[in-house]
Amino acid sequence: MTTSLLVIIGFAAILSACGVLFSRDNLYASVCMSITLILIAAAYAVFDIQPVFILITFIFVGAVGAVTVAIAATYRQQPKLSVDKVWIAPALITAASVGYAIYAYVNYGMEVSSNSQEMLMTFTSDYMLLAMFIISLSVLLMMAVVKFVRREGI
Amino acid sequence: MKVAILLFVSVVLLLIGYLTAISSRDLVRLLISLELMFGSVFLALLPLFSIEGLAAVAFGIAVITIFTSGSELMILIASIIMLDKKTRDVTVDSVTAGGDTA
Repeated sequence: MTTSLLVIIGFAAILSACGVLFSRDNLYASVCMSITLILIAAAYAVFDIQPVFILITFIFVGAVGAVTVAIAATYRQQPKLSVDKVWIAPALITAASVGYAIYAYVNYGMEVSSNSQEMLMTFTSDYMLLAMFIISLSVLLMMAVVKFVRREGI
Repeated sequence: MKVAILLFVSVVLLLIGYLTAISSRDLVRLLISLELMFGSVFLALLPLFSIEGLAAVAFGIAVITIFTSGSELMILIASIIMLDKKTRDVTVDSVTAGGDTA
């Protein structure tokens, strides 16, 4: 059941990602990107990892994704798709090495044993300082941007 | 099998993100491709949750990745808006610093 769900979610995610690549309009590309990210969050929900599902959906898609859709709606330019043929060689090498790695993992199962409550308790007890540092870093970065924007007089 | 599916989808999404990034001449499309790449990273992180005793570590890495990438993307959005205010253009050709054309 879980494997079938993963196959469906993965297929839908790849389809919507292709929508990002082939879409001629930035707005539709950003909407396809948001759908892809929600599907990725759904993969976490399949394994009952609800905290990460909420973080991706509300923070990444809800905040950053929504702003991206708004930006893309403002700048609806049609991109010129052109790929240099030089990229074919490194892409083939990467695909071959990654393909071998996936082949090596093809028989591995996956069981998420620990429940979300236990995971959150361990995180809040052991990694609270780390979380405070990362939140402080994010706030400092935002303050730097605000200061820069004010200095530029925009 | 589940790990292979997750890794396969993650790699395909990453390659689509790379292809979008190198084929676009538009900073907004570049931003979208970056978000796609971060999504691929989130998916690749999922098998770490299945390792006994590492679930809390995996959650910590997920939180750091989500907040760091979110901050980075917000700064990129602010930069795009400022570039547009200055140059009235959001194509990569209007960026004069960095890259291989500087």
